[in-house]
Amino acid sequence: MTLPSRWASQIAALAGLLVTALLFGWWFGGAGWWLAGAALLYVGFTLRHLYWLDRALDGHRRVPLFETRGLWAEVFARVEKLRTKARNRKKKYHRLLREVRESTGALADGGIILNADNEIMWFNRAASNLLGLDQSTDLGHRLDNLLRYPDFVEYLKKPTGDGITVGSPRHETGWLHVQIIPYGTDQRLAIIRDVTTEKNVERTRRDFVANASHELRSPLTVISGYLEALGEAGDVPDAWQSPVAEMQRQAERMTRILRDLIELTRLESADAAASRDFVDVVGMLKPLVQEFQGRGGPSVELVLDTDAALLGKESELHSIFYNLVNNAARFTPPSGSVKVVWRAADGGAVFEVIDTGIGIAEEQIPRVTERFYRVDPGRSRAMGGTGLGLAIVKHALQRHEAQLAIASREGKGSTFTCRFPRDRVVFRSDAVSAVL
Amino acid sequence: MEVEDLGHHISRRFNEDLERVRNSVLSMGGLVEEQLDRAIKALSDGDSQLGLQVAEDDVKVNRMEVSIDEECSRILATRAPTAGDLRLVIAIIKTITDLERIGDEAEKIGTLSARLASVERPSTNYRELRNLARHVKQMVHGALNAFARLDTKGALEVVKADSAVDEEYESIYRQGITFMMEDPRTITRILDMTWMARSLERIGDHAKNICEYVIFMVHGKDVRHIGIKNIEVEVEQASRRLESRT
Repeated sequence: MTLPSRWASQIAALAGLLVTALLFGWWFGGAGWWLAGAALLYVGFTLRHLYWLDRALDGHRRVPLFETRGLWAEVFARVEKLRTKARNRKKKYHRLLREVRESTGALADGGIILNADNEIMWFNRAASNLLGLDQSTDLGHRLDNLLRYPDFVEYLKKPTGDGITVGSPRHETGWLHVQIIPYGTDQRLAIIRDVTTEKNVERTRRDFVANASHELRSPLTVISGYLEALGEAGDVPDAWQSPVAEMQRQAERMTRILRDLIELTRLESADAAASRDFVDVVGMLKPLVQEFQGRGGPSVELVLDTDAALLGKESELHSIFYNLVNNAARFTPPSGSVKVVWRAADGGAVFEVIDTGIGIAEEQIPRVTERFYRVDPGRSRAMGGTGLGLAIVKHALQRHEAQLAIASREGKGSTFTCRFPRDRVVFRSDAVSAVL
Repeated sequence: MEVEDLGHHISRRFNEDLERVRNSVLSMGGLVEEQLDRAIKALSDGDSQLGLQVAEDDVKVNRMEVSIDEECSRILATRAPTAGDLRLVIAIIKTITDLERIGDEAEKIGTLSARLASVERPSTNYRELRNLARHVKQMVHGALNAFARLDTKGALEVVKADSAVDEEYESIYRQGITFMMEDPRTITRILDMTWMARSLERIGDHAKNICEYVIFMVHGKDVRHIGIKNIEVEVEQASRRLESRT
């Protein structure tokens, strides 16, 4: 092992001191005393430097040195260098932190950091503006204690999907969109966005569609009425028989479209969750399926694997079942078959319509629930569809927290599956225990 | 009791119990706020379905009251809390009673809104009622915020606001009498409106009560029935004591 030169010089100095002491001891006698004195001198010198080193580490600036070179000078120089480095790094981090703070503070979206217990760890200026939080008092409080909307509290317990829209606590007509993003071990970031404008635009659009549909319906009723009278009157010239019949069919179709449009707008503007009335699914499906049997279409078969009932809105559930069965029946040739299944699964219940119809191409599956989207425009229109059936199904299912899954192979047939969650389903055994 | 007191206990379970029951009071508060909100919306939109829905949903509030009440009894029986914890439990028991009453008043407002939806609406579309409702809603919101933050200053603000609400109620009442004398055909409607104003005024009183419990919980001072001036003095003194101690 080679020693650095500063150590060599230090040891040389010590050795020199001891040799000098020995020489003096040899010259004057009492060598032991001279040696002890020299050692003591060296200890004192070292202690003195240690004392100043201690002060220097405490942050004391001016350090008197006995040595301008050698071990101690080197040690102090290095301490000073470390301190300068640390100071610079601290300054850099400070600046960085300030920049981060300023930029997050300048964000238009509110941000709140929550810990595992939903306690507020940090929030930016936008969050305090949007929610009325106070930097001096609200850190450490639970967010759901300050933002108490039942829907939001539920969402905070189980943040799924892409956030939730709640009324603004500060402006009566305002709307906020909150999304919770988990990160790190168990921290969560809440992003809050003011969506008042979007909400208003959305409402205007919805109101317009609803009003337009309503306004169109009354003149259409008059037209349909006269067309019907014309059709029944015997004195229509032969050349006009078929045009009148066609007009009647088109008027009927238009009535259906308007009815579906009104239904769809109603579904969109209603509260997020459907009411929880007791709906006897078995009693509803039997006559519904019967309606499709013996129409000259494909054979329709009902398979009831469970007697479960649903908690939901009767008219909407009927609309879901009817539209799905109707679609299957329309897109399946008379030689094919449609199977309607009601069964229990994963604690909840599943409504399934399996057909051997024309099927849907894979790339079109995600789009079929869009309003007025048609896989094959000519064909579906000829079959009397409104283009709104699946859009209605999708919205009505959403309001029952149910999920729609579509599986299909072109030319082979499609399967539409609606999964209803456990708390919307009542089994006979539940009903019995509720009575007891 | 300092705010931090809530966070330190020898038994972690006890701590969690208290914290959980406090949180459920605030969720119940959130539910009540929403009920009130929807009841008022039913009135201003003339939405009878929403009004009836509110009346129906009151059972949710009642259910929460019962379950929180049970939880409090359990804590009292098994943990025998003292000092600040005892005050917290007592304040919670009282608060949920008032919250439940607010829920009942919201139910009444919902039912009345459903009824008013089917009769002719005044040209102002119940502006006075909506104003009163806005103030009352702010009071309930403020009371629950004060409860969440253990903020006695905020509680004091709400207590002070109550007299303005009382005055507003008074003026709606007098106005109603004038209208009824002018045109007896409006009597049914005006009576319903007066009932509604009455319900709102009562909600204001309940919000004020909750604030008094907050002051009791934080400072251990019973400030009921001593007048606004005295409440102010008590809160001022107590918070100064608290500051000097910390």
